[in-house]
Amino acid sequence: MAVAAGGFISLPAWATNWTSETVQLTHPFLTSGQDDLLADIAETIIPTTDTPGAKALNVHQFIQKIVTDCYDKPAQETFRNGLNAIDEQAQKAFGKSFREGDTAQRTALLTQFSQSTEPAQKEFYSMVKGLTVRGYMNSEYVMTNLTHYQMIPGHYYGCVPVPAKAVSQTK
Amino acid sequence: MANLNIDAKAQNTYDAIVIGSGISGGWAAKELTGKGLRTLVLERGRDVRHVTDYPTTMMQPWEFDHRGQLTKEVKDANPIISKCYAFYEGTQQFFVKDAEHPYIQEKPFDWIRGYQVGGKSLMWARQTQRWSDFDFEGPARDGFAVDWPIRYADLAPWYSYVERFAGITGNKDGLDTLPDGEFLPPHEWNCVEKHFQQKVASRYKDRHVIMGRAAHITKPQPVHLQQGRAQCQHRTICERGCPFGGYFSSNSSTIPWAAKTGKMTLRPDSVVHSIIYDEQKVRATGVRIVDANTKQMQEYYARIIFLNAAALNSNLVLLNSTSHRFPNGLGNDSGVLGKYIAFHNYRAGISAQYDGNLDSTTDGRRPNSPYIPRFRNVYKQETDFLRGYAAGFSAGRSSRANQNGIGADLKQNLLNPELGGWYVGSHMMGETIPKETNFVALDSAQKDPFGIPQLKISIAYDDNDDKMVKDYQEQMTEMFTAAGFTNIRVRDDHRNPGLDIHEMGGARMGKDPKTSVLNKWNQLHAVKNVFVTDGSCMTSTSTQNPSLTYMAMTARSADYAVKAMKKGLV
Repeated sequence: MAVAAGGFISLPAWATNWTSETVQLTHPFLTSGQDDLLADIAETIIPTTDTPGAKALNVHQFIQKIVTDCYDKPAQETFRNGLNAIDEQAQKAFGKSFREGDTAQRTALLTQFSQSTEPAQKEFYSMVKGLTVRGYMNSEYVMTNLTHYQMIPGHYYGCVPVPAKAVSQTK
Repeated sequence: MANLNIDAKAQNTYDAIVIGSGISGGWAAKELTGKGLRTLVLERGRDVRHVTDYPTTMMQPWEFDHRGQLTKEVKDANPIISKCYAFYEGTQQFFVKDAEHPYIQEKPFDWIRGYQVGGKSLMWARQTQRWSDFDFEGPARDGFAVDWPIRYADLAPWYSYVERFAGITGNKDGLDTLPDGEFLPPHEWNCVEKHFQQKVASRYKDRHVIMGRAAHITKPQPVHLQQGRAQCQHRTICERGCPFGGYFSSNSSTIPWAAKTGKMTLRPDSVVHSIIYDEQKVRATGVRIVDANTKQMQEYYARIIFLNAAALNSNLVLLNSTSHRFPNGLGNDSGVLGKYIAFHNYRAGISAQYDGNLDSTTDGRRPNSPYIPRFRNVYKQETDFLRGYAAGFSAGRSSRANQNGIGADLKQNLLNPELGGWYVGSHMMGETIPKETNFVALDSAQKDPFGIPQLKISIAYDDNDDKMVKDYQEQMTEMFTAAGFTNIRVRDDHRNPGLDIHEMGGARMGKDPKTSVLNKWNQLHAVKNVFVTDGSCMTSTSTQNPSLTYMAMTARSADYAVKAMKKGLV
C-alpha cells in the first residue's frame, strides 16, 4: 500500500457513494400528507432565504427517520398527535390548513404552540424544532458550505487567538 | 485410515498457537512469527482487514442515517453494550451485541467486548502509560493480593521495544511515578490546561499535570512507514478504524506485520473451547475450537500456546480446560484461577468553567488529553483507603448558537454562533484491590450458543472504592478551586464494574504456585508450554491504562518462550 507521511490513502467506493435517495425508510411512520405538512413546519422554522431552507435540504426526511427509528411509542404518539393538532388549530386560527396559510400565519401558529399551556403541544413543538435545527445544522449543504466542517483537520493547535468571527466546526 | 489421521494431525500442527488477535494476541503473533515460528492465530470473531473493513471510517456526519444516534431497536436489544461511550451508529459493527455471547451477572457487570480480528484494539482509548515500581511493589507494601514476581526493571526494555514499534506520543516528564518512554512528539496543550498545570505545580510538590501518552503517530518513523502507517490526522473518530493507521491497532500494525513473515496462519471464526492437556506428555498439546459458522469442533496442535483471549475470556478458556490432572481448570492447582479479579474505578468526574484566557481558543482536534498521574499514597500511606487514582483532564471551548426564535431570525442565529467560555473536566481512574470474593466461574447449567459454559461474573466495588471516589472529588475540587475554576460540579455515576473495560486478573502472576497461576514469565506454573499475557495475568491493577503493559509483557514472554523452546525447556 502506498502511503506518504501525512498523506491520503485511496478508499473503496463505499466511502463516497451515499446519497439521500439511497437512504429510504423501511416503515414510513407518517402518511405522505403528514410528511408534506412536516416539511412545511420545518420550512417555517428554518426558511429559505439567500440559502436553502429546511424543506429544500430534506430535513423533514431526517426528522421522520429519527422519530421512526429512535423514539419510543409515547414520543411517537406525541409527534403524530402534534401534527394533527397543527391542522386543527390552523383551521381555528385562520380557517385554512397549515399548508395553505401564509408565512405569517404559520409562524404565529407555531409560536402559539411554543407558548401553549397544553404540555403536549409544547412538547411537540420543542421536539420538531430541536430535530429541525439538528437536521439542518447536520445537513451536507450547511456543513459543507456554511459551517465548513473539516473531517480531517490534520492538526491541533492549543492556543490560537480567537478569530474575529467564531467558527464552530473544530470541536 | 491411521495414515489419514496422522496426515490430518500433521496438517493441523504448528510451532505455536496464539488464542486471540487483540492487543496482546497481535503482539504474540508478531513476536513468534518474527522469531521464525509457524504460528496459528485463532480469533473467535470475523476477519477485519485494515482499511477495507472499516465501512464507516470516511463517512461524513450527514451520511449516517441517524447522525450517529443509536436506534431504539439497537438500544432495546443491547442494554449492556449501549452504555459504552464508544458504541454509536458508526462503530456498532465492532462491538459484541448482548445476545451474541451471554453471561451471568451474579452482580451487575457490564462486559464490553469486541470479537473480530484486532479485538478491542480497534476501539480502545489508546492511552499508554508505563507502570513504575510504586505499582509493582504495591501489593507487597500494602499487604493485598500477592507480590508481583517482576519489577519495573524486568519490563523497562520491553516497554521501550513495544513503544518504538507501536508509536507512542508523549513528553519526557521525569516523574518517579510514571517512567518516561520512547516518545514521539507530544500533543499540544491549550492555554487553560497550561494554566491548570502551573497552578497545580505551584501549590503541590507531588502533583503533576502532564500531557497524555497515547498510541498515536505524531511523527512517523521508518518503522511506522514500513508498517504502512502514516501520521495521525486528528480526526478523533478513531474507534471507526483509522485508514491512516494513525493510532496503533493489531489490524494496522502487528497482524499485517506477522502476516508478512509468511509464518502466520490466521483463522477467524474460531471460538476456542479449551486447551488440550496430555497427561502422558505432561504438557498442553493443542487447542480445541468450535467453528463459529459450522459449529464443528476441530483440534489444532503446537509446541507452545499463547492465551490472549482478553482477561475474562482467558479465564473462561482455562476454567473450561479440564482433565483428570486438572479437574478445576488448566494450571489451577492453587484454586485461585478466576479469583482476585480487579478493574479500574471510573465512577467519579468533575466539571467546571473558567473565565480567563478568553482571548485564546483551540484549532483542530486532539485525540488525547492531559493526565494527572497518581499522587495519593505513593511514598507513604496517607489516607484511610489503600492505593490511589490517576485522572484525565482537559479544557476546551465550543461555539454556541442562540436557538431562540423562529424563521429567518433563528436561521441567522444558528449560522452565527458565539464562542462560549472555557469548560474544564476530569475523570478518575482508580486502582481497585483484587479480592478473592471478586471472581468469575463457569456456570454449571447454562451454555453459550457454542455449547461452552457461560461465564458467571461476580464482581463489585467495596468500601475502599467508595472512599477513593470521595477523595478524588475533594482533591480535584480543591485543585480546581485553586486554579480559579468556577461552577464546580462533582459526580459519581455509580456505573457498574466492567464499563471501565479494564477488567484484570483471575490467572494472576506470582512467585508461589500455591497462590498464583502464572510465573514471572507468564507461564502456567504447572503447564510450562502455556503462556498467558493478556489482562488475566495481572496481580494488581495500578492506575495506568493497562494495554501498554500487556504489549510489553507479551513481547518479553514470547522472547523467553522461544529461547526456552530452543533449550528444550518447553
